[in-house]
Amino acid sequence: MDTEALVQLARCPLDNPNVHVIGVTGPPGGGKSTLCGQLVQNLAREHKVAALLVDPSSPYSGGAILGDRIRMSALSANPNVYIRSLSNRGNTGGVNSTVVSIIRAVMNCGFEYIIVETVGAGQSEVKIASIADTTLVVAVPNLGDDIQAFKSGIMEIADIFVINKADLPGADVLFAALRESAVRHKDGWLTPVCQTVAVEGRGIDSLLDYIRAHGDWLRRQGRLTEKRKQAAKFEILELSSYYLQSHLDQVPADVLAANLANKDFNMLQRLLDAYREIVNSLSEVN
Amino acid sequence: MVPIRVLVAKPGLDGHDRGAKVVARALRDAGMEVIYTGLRQSPEQIVRAAIQEDVDMVGLSCLSGAHNSLFPKVVQLLKEAGAEDIQVFGGGVIPESDIPGLLEAGVRAVFTPGTPLEEIVNFVRESVKKGDA
Repeated sequence: MDTEALVQLARCPLDNPNVHVIGVTGPPGGGKSTLCGQLVQNLAREHKVAALLVDPSSPYSGGAILGDRIRMSALSANPNVYIRSLSNRGNTGGVNSTVVSIIRAVMNCGFEYIIVETVGAGQSEVKIASIADTTLVVAVPNLGDDIQAFKSGIMEIADIFVINKADLPGADVLFAALRESAVRHKDGWLTPVCQTVAVEGRGIDSLLDYIRAHGDWLRRQGRLTEKRKQAAKFEILELSSYYLQSHLDQVPADVLAANLANKDFNMLQRLLDAYREIVNSLSEVN
Repeated sequence: MVPIRVLVAKPGLDGHDRGAKVVARALRDAGMEVIYTGLRQSPEQIVRAAIQEDVDMVGLSCLSGAHNSLFPKVVQLLKEAGAEDIQVFGGGVIPESDIPGLLEAGVRAVFTPGTPLEEIVNFVRESVKKGDA
């Protein structure tokens, strides 16, 4: 882990209001990459667009096959487009611990739209909502009954619902279910339900209209700055736990187990003290 | 430890990516992050992807017979882009007699059918290690 680079990146501003950070999440095989490809292609006609695509890493080898790029291969020659594939490197929230650092980097390279695609998400991979200005939750017909739409977790973080593969049977049932769960959403924004067939490019224009409308709403409400502060908070939380984890991982389990909280070397106590000291000195600065 | 990143790419027009996928999987199982581009990529697309992804190496798979033009082209374009630190290796149905010419053009190694996967994994590991030193 290149700590110096991370500190340098953390100094890059994250508050540019003319940049729109769009998160795309949803189940594996729901068409997220294809949808992102369509969004990138449309936006790149007039804007510089960066796509950060997260795929899972192996819990055993740490390796990963990053294949999201395949769905965007037509875009790789477009000078307005930057595509970066990331593995989650063990992060269980659907993204990568350094993703905000990378957003800072591309934001300060003049990209106006930054699209972050999560790993295929189940019900609890909700970290994207702390990172993105606008979160799209992609659903596909026939993955479960309408109770799935009322569950907590990923369904709650949507700023926009996207029913992809909307040409499949069952799309109308899902539409009705999502419309109902969308009504009682936060802060006056009514979560729209948008239907797309990404592989044919259908519904993309109206999805883009919703995305722009949500961006405008955030700016009007003064909520964009709040969102970015939230992202910076996420950054420090994730980086510190990732740093800790990657160092602890290198210590053999028996050594860790023996020194967790014994009298000679109380590791747990030391860790907690170190964190408390940092947080306490923070309150002195302010 | 930061994982080694490898771009596995299919230049040219043949549609056979079984070999590329087997190699990609072997590299993944060795703890590397493998970006797979999909079929029918131009050398320009491959080089752009390699730079954007900041990979350590590019593995090219070609079964169409066009390796003599495509592989050196990728090496050359990487060099022109100032990215000659990204090393290129190749594989596929490649006649023995073509290999010396490819190596001379800057391809680091060529693996033909039947190569044990371990040999490719070790080659990538060693090459990246040397590049770091």
